[in-house]
Amino acid sequence: MILEALEREGVEHIFGYPGGANLPIYQHLPEHPRLKHILVRHEQGAAHMADGYARASGRPGVVFATSGPGALNLVTGLCTAYMDSVPMIAITGQVPSTVVGRDAFQESDVIGATSSVTKHSYLVTNIGQLPRVIHEAFHIATTGRPGPVLIDVCRDVQQANADQVTPERLDIPGYRLNGHVDLDGARQAAAALTSAKQPVILSGHGVILSHAESQLQALAEAAVTPVGTTLLGIGGFPVQHPLSLHMTGFMGTGYCLKAVQNADVLMMVGMRVDDRVTAKLAEFAPKVKTFIHVDIDGSEMGKNVRPHIELVADAKAALSAILPHLGEVDPDRRQWLTQIDRWREEHPLRYKHSNGQLQPQDVLIDMYRRANNEAIVVADVGQNQIWAALWWNYDRPGLFINSGGAGTMGFALPAAIGAKFGRPDVPVWCVAGEGGFVMTAQELSVAVEHQLDVKIVLLNNFSLGMVRQFQDDFYGGVRSQVDLTHMPDFVKLAEAYGMPALRVDRFEDIAPSFDAAQRTKGPFLIDFRIDPEANVYPIVPLGKSLNEFWEAPDA
Amino acid sequence: MPETLDTPLRPATPATSPQVGRSEKIRVLSVLVEDGPNTLTKVSGAIRRRGFHVTGISVGPSRKPGLSRITLHVDHGHAEADQVRKQLERLVEVIEVEDVTADELHSRELVIAKVETKAVEALVQRGAKVLSKHNGTTTVEFSGERDEVRDFVAELESHGIVDVIRSGPVVMRRQS
Repeated sequence: MILEALEREGVEHIFGYPGGANLPIYQHLPEHPRLKHILVRHEQGAAHMADGYARASGRPGVVFATSGPGALNLVTGLCTAYMDSVPMIAITGQVPSTVVGRDAFQESDVIGATSSVTKHSYLVTNIGQLPRVIHEAFHIATTGRPGPVLIDVCRDVQQANADQVTPERLDIPGYRLNGHVDLDGARQAAAALTSAKQPVILSGHGVILSHAESQLQALAEAAVTPVGTTLLGIGGFPVQHPLSLHMTGFMGTGYCLKAVQNADVLMMVGMRVDDRVTAKLAEFAPKVKTFIHVDIDGSEMGKNVRPHIELVADAKAALSAILPHLGEVDPDRRQWLTQIDRWREEHPLRYKHSNGQLQPQDVLIDMYRRANNEAIVVADVGQNQIWAALWWNYDRPGLFINSGGAGTMGFALPAAIGAKFGRPDVPVWCVAGEGGFVMTAQELSVAVEHQLDVKIVLLNNFSLGMVRQFQDDFYGGVRSQVDLTHMPDFVKLAEAYGMPALRVDRFEDIAPSFDAAQRTKGPFLIDFRIDPEANVYPIVPLGKSLNEFWEAPDA
Repeated sequence: MPETLDTPLRPATPATSPQVGRSEKIRVLSVLVEDGPNTLTKVSGAIRRRGFHVTGISVGPSRKPGLSRITLHVDHGHAEADQVRKQLERLVEVIEVEDVTADELHSRELVIAKVETKAVEALVQRGAKVLSKHNGTTTVEFSGERDEVRDFVAELESHGIVDVIRSGPVVMRRQS
């Protein structure tokens, strides 16, 4: 019954793990060859795979897990998807409805444990509810601001039979979608951008989710306004566009931060304006006279920054509504762009090339040259994530996947596997530090089992690099519990899973190792032993304003 | 990645939401919800997660079958006042949220108290109704606005309370 419903919703891939409370579903799975089930090695892996699948393909990712520990192992993955507005359906087995609440074997309150990390959730105790619930769940997960929806299904319900009744019409009175753009607001936004002296646009994940990149570019060009993106907004605006400020936030480019801190009009599109974007909130964009905020979720308005003009709408609809009302911008706008160009020259991205150690940027630059905006990069969390964000010139959405909001270590490998299932036609690179990599390394089996063409780029610095950098810079230089000298030999580890691998610790070996990886069909791992002292720059010290960013010392 | 910014969030500036009545931080909301086993958890969870605090609550059936009415007094802490309504509106179980803080309201809370019988006369004069008498104690009920109930309970203190229990609020706009 569940499986038929999933087929009707167009599902092709399921990432899951069987157990006592979802056995009836698995009993019937072989009768549905159109549903390709990927057996993961840990439920967290399933959630991240479904997440990567959804981000890469645009289709909701589907997860199965059993009750109790199985379902609870999804929590981190659900949170990751929830924070980044990723559409996902998690179907968890629950103990039979007759024993719910009696602390049965492998019973847990999954709804209670997940309600703060899901967009919506259902407990299904009656077969009659199931067709409506599944149909609603897909609708809710994929519309408006997307997010994960969990369906907890009692085992007796999974076994029950009922006539298939597809609900003809959705009737969810408590589910509000913000469709209409306030035209007054759009006109005001256009007027503010037109008359601004020093405007900046910041573009977030919402621009990518609503496929608004061409509207954004048209608007930026018509309004002659530079654009920075958030970490999750990367690709929403081409990095090499003359108006691009690349990434904003407390590890953003110096020239973007200068622009934000000197802007008089700041338009924030499809973003939450979180603490990583604002740094010290009281001193965020202090010269702004008009904040314009566009977001599909009305609760984002004034959550962190109270906008003067708010447009609660889909980014594409809102940008399209603003565009025709833009007037001729002041010729003085040139001066603003000239100023920004000066900041570009004064604060370029830079790193130390030549201390004899392998630099992570060298690895990523070679990788970018090969990928040339035709590959998906899935990054983990930490220094590797920021390096991968900054040192690639992404020119369109969908090429960079990472856990921005939750910052989940261990995300990259399973998410890269999911991304490859979602986009088998596109090369997928997984960039991870060794710390995050070992958190979900068991999923190497999945990559090998399915001979997925996923290339794993391990930036191995034998430490928790970002934590080490924070300890060095912001916590008195006390290096505490960040040493990861005792790690497996990653080449042998990969080989133990049946995956070819290479170790690289010299600049000269970067290119040959990538050649080998690209020549090899299927998964491949390269253990790059990078400079253990390599840091992420620019960086804004904790608690400081965006003005106070530090840059790489002696480039 | 380590947890980062140690800065407390300042309230964003300037607030544009309607200013509040009695207490600056308390919002009064009337919430129409689906009558289901998960609803109360979801509502209270959304409030807790955002750092708000429920200072008064009552739940009862609404006129529409399958829907309940929750009346809430919520302290919104450091968040902007309209965040309480907006966060509740995100819940699928929530059909409608009215923030009635700034409205002219009929607002009632109920108190039931056991007092020594000799004190009853003064309480009845305040509008209390006698429910029962037993062994020198009398049980009375009183309803009124939150402040009236507070004053009533304060008077009870002076007479020696045996036991007292208060309900959460119910509210209705004076004008429709």
